[in-house]
Amino acid sequence: MHAETKQHDFEPKIVAFVCTWCTYAGADLAGTSRMQYPSNVRVLKFPCTGRIDPVFILRAFQKGADGVLVSGCHPGDCHYMAGNFHARRRFAAFRALLSFVGVDLNRLQFSWVSAAEGGKWVDVVTELTERVRTMGPMPEFKELEHEEQWSTFAGASADKVLNSPELKEAYDSIG
Amino acid sequence: MNAKASKTHVTCIEPAYYEAITEAIRKEAVQILKDETVVGVVGYLPGRRKGTASPALVTTAEEAGKLIFSPACVNNLSVYLTKAKKGVLKKGKVGIVAKGCDMRALAGLITESQLQREELFIIGVVCPGVYGFGAERTGTLTEANIARKCRECSVHLPDGADVAAGTHTELADLTPEEAEEMARIEAMPQAERWAFWKEHFSRCIRCMACRQVCPFCYCEQCLCDKNRPQAVESSPRPAGNMAWHLVRAMHLAGRCGGCAECERVCPMDIPLNLLNRRMAKELKELYDFEAGLNPVEKGPLNQYKEDDDQSFIK
Ligand code: SF4
Ligand code: SF4
Ligand code: SF4
Repeated sequence: MHAETKQHDFEPKIVAFVCTWCTYAGADLAGTSRMQYPSNVRVLKFPCTGRIDPVFILRAFQKGADGVLVSGCHPGDCHYMAGNFHARRRFAAFRALLSFVGVDLNRLQFSWVSAAEGGKWVDVVTELTERVRTMGPMPEFKELEHEEQWSTFAGASADKVLNSPELKEAYDSIG
Repeated sequence: MNAKASKTHVTCIEPAYYEAITEAIRKEAVQILKDETVVGVVGYLPGRRKGTASPALVTTAEEAGKLIFSPACVNNLSVYLTKAKKGVLKKGKVGIVAKGCDMRALAGLITESQLQREELFIIGVVCPGVYGFGAERTGTLTEANIARKCRECSVHLPDGADVAAGTHTELADLTPEEAEEMARIEAMPQAERWAFWKEHFSRCIRCMACRQVCPFCYCEQCLCDKNRPQAVESSPRPAGNMAWHLVRAMHLAGRCGGCAECERVCPMDIPLNLLNRRMAKELKELYDFEAGLNPVEKGPLNQYKEDDDQSFIK
């Protein structure tokens, strides 16, 4: 018997960057224990949270993620001793940067999920998915993907618009 | 050197002040070249146009006698000692003229094992400030033409230099324009912040001048140039630009010395130093780290404490 599935207007895409030793095993445990969690999450396995470069998170948002989860071993449990300690500082800094440029941090979740915490994995993923679902799609990075330099100028303040008659003519002649 | 005691506040800094520094630099540079303490001195020579200066490597006492210091000496010369500008350091100890903010870059490069203190002879400048971008170059420095970074400078005194040239003088009552701008952006609603940066980043032409000029951008292969796999789109389009700027800010976090050279050279007037400063502020708040005049063992993102803040992690 399948659990009853609810229909939603919006199914967010969630990308989860996880470490292979703890969170991946935790997610695996959730699976083998037949726990239910939203299928919105796409899991990407890394050796360690220390290997998860902030640029991966950007890339995920650019390519269509509405929410991102980064998860690894609890402090002290890192397979490589200190990878997650370094990651913790890097992500703390990265959050500040994202927030400064105007990204809503509610779309980005960090967690520690051990190999034994199948239940916690389910909770974390469910909570993030539902939160992002109520927030709706994330348009910012996706819009950038489809823009060219001049398309933003059109919306910029008057003095920054590229509007010389020659340019206008050239642009119009492209059709 | 103890210039602290005799610090003065003035409303304009006359050319004579810079001439005194020039004299001191020349004397020192000639001396260390003559007695062969160094094989060369990186400093400034007069530019071809009036009111300008060019970075130069001088190797003879005669040339050293032509070195100058003026408010047009805006460049951070430490970049010439990095791997990115190969060759200058190879032959032996090198002298370098450094303002306080340039010394923070030297300190950072020593921290990162890119330079060795013993290989440097630092001629520190007790610097009252330099010209801002596009400002009028009258020879006299005033509130009207001083660079933005200098308005909030905390390193007028080049502590830790081998010698210091100048006496401590500062312009009085400068408003901290950059700090105010940063506060203004932070107070914006989130969507407005995004619009603000999107507009700025979208203008970027990816000339990479900001990377070329930065003493800390010495990587032989920049992540942003790689195309297999490509992490950051390399053409100047809004998507790749946003990624480039976030990666740049991230890679400089905890390392940037705040010389604001990146912002100075940007042909598109993108306020890069606001990003640098925002990151510096965060690392100060979280890990009590500040880029200083002296090398440290490790930067804030190369180390950790077991009890670092993790309130954002579930
Ligand atoms: S920031 Fe300070 S040391 Fe650097 S140029 Fe300005 S006044 Fe001089
Ligand atoms: S990022 Fe800019 S301000 Fe910081 S060290 Fe590099 S050039 Fe100087
Ligand atoms: S210098 Fe300015 S325009 Fe050039 S790559 Fe840097 S930010 Fe972009």
